[in-house]
Amino acid sequence: MNEYRKTPFDESLFSGYLDGELTQAEEQKVRLHLEDDPEARALVAELRAIRQAARSTRLAAPADEEWREAPRSGASRFLRRSGWLLAIGWAVAVLGFALWGAATSPESWWERALVAGAVGGPLLLFSSVLLDRLKVMKTDRYGRVRR
Amino acid sequence: MAEPRLLDDDLVSQARGGDAEARNELVRRHRAAAYRFALQLTGNREDAADVTQEAMIRFLDTLQRFEDGRPVLPWLFRIVRNKSYDLGRRQKVRRAESLDELLEKGMPAPVQRDGDPAARLERRDLRRRVWSALGRLPDKQREILVLREYQDLSYGEIGSVLGVPTGTVMSRLHRARRALRDLLAEPDRREGRVR
Repeated sequence: MNEYRKTPFDESLFSGYLDGELTQAEEQKVRLHLEDDPEARALVAELRAIRQAARSTRLAAPADEEWREAPRSGASRFLRRSGWLLAIGWAVAVLGFALWGAATSPESWWERALVAGAVGGPLLLFSSVLLDRLKVMKTDRYGRVRR
Repeated sequence: MAEPRLLDDDLVSQARGGDAEARNELVRRHRAAAYRFALQLTGNREDAADVTQEAMIRFLDTLQRFEDGRPVLPWLFRIVRNKSYDLGRRQKVRRAESLDELLEKGMPAPVQRDGDPAARLERRDLRRRVWSALGRLPDKQREILVLREYQDLSYGEIGSVLGVPTGTVMSRLHRARRALRDLLAEPDRREGRVR
């Protein structure tokens, strides 16, 4: 049995070996171990294949022009979310009031239609903006970054 | 003639002195690396963009405490890591996107250039599986693998990001590699596949 086998082999040296982070003596120790142990050779080959797969993965990052504004702070995001919640609450309250008013009003049908149009028009426009905004949030990669 | 590119050290000194252009240049120079690291930790672009924004703010806020002569990236990565964990604690569930949506377009990796389509497909498949398995690892194992395999940091730099000695980096990295390999081997065994 070889001399190096007298002490237990530290398997983490395989990682240092793959990464070129070992001293010459440690590297020699690993080489000797690999010559002697086919299971260790198979393990190192597997780890090397995984390592190469990871290292050849190139992730995309936003281009410079997609980071136009200075980073937005957490407080700013909180205020914006609160603003949207308030606006949605306002729209629901106005719509409910308008429907109740139209249903119970003693006015003629055309007067009720005028009121419904005055309230419903802006609400429909608001809903359209809201829906667009929700759609953009789902599909626009860097929406939060740009605004 | 183009002006010579300033070293990070010079930019940091100027930024500390209140030079807005130096601060912007530091952000421009390191934002993509911070974003990719955040993406590798969080698994999705929206969270990565949020984490990057917050990390860049924190990075600029803490420049006064930054030691002269130290590389910028480990410091910045440390901030990104903390911000990612803050976000993870708030969200509880990790929302990972598939690798195909996140890859750089039109820039094949060097190992793809050989002429064997089967080998190319196999490597692409392995890249996908590695990415997917990475998302299933515990945070500590994922972060060290990302720092080494995807960010190509040395053991010393990884130690500086994680606040551990170099020897610990090697043993922790090896445990993470074995765990990743075991995860990858699971479906192979079930499906009787041989790599």
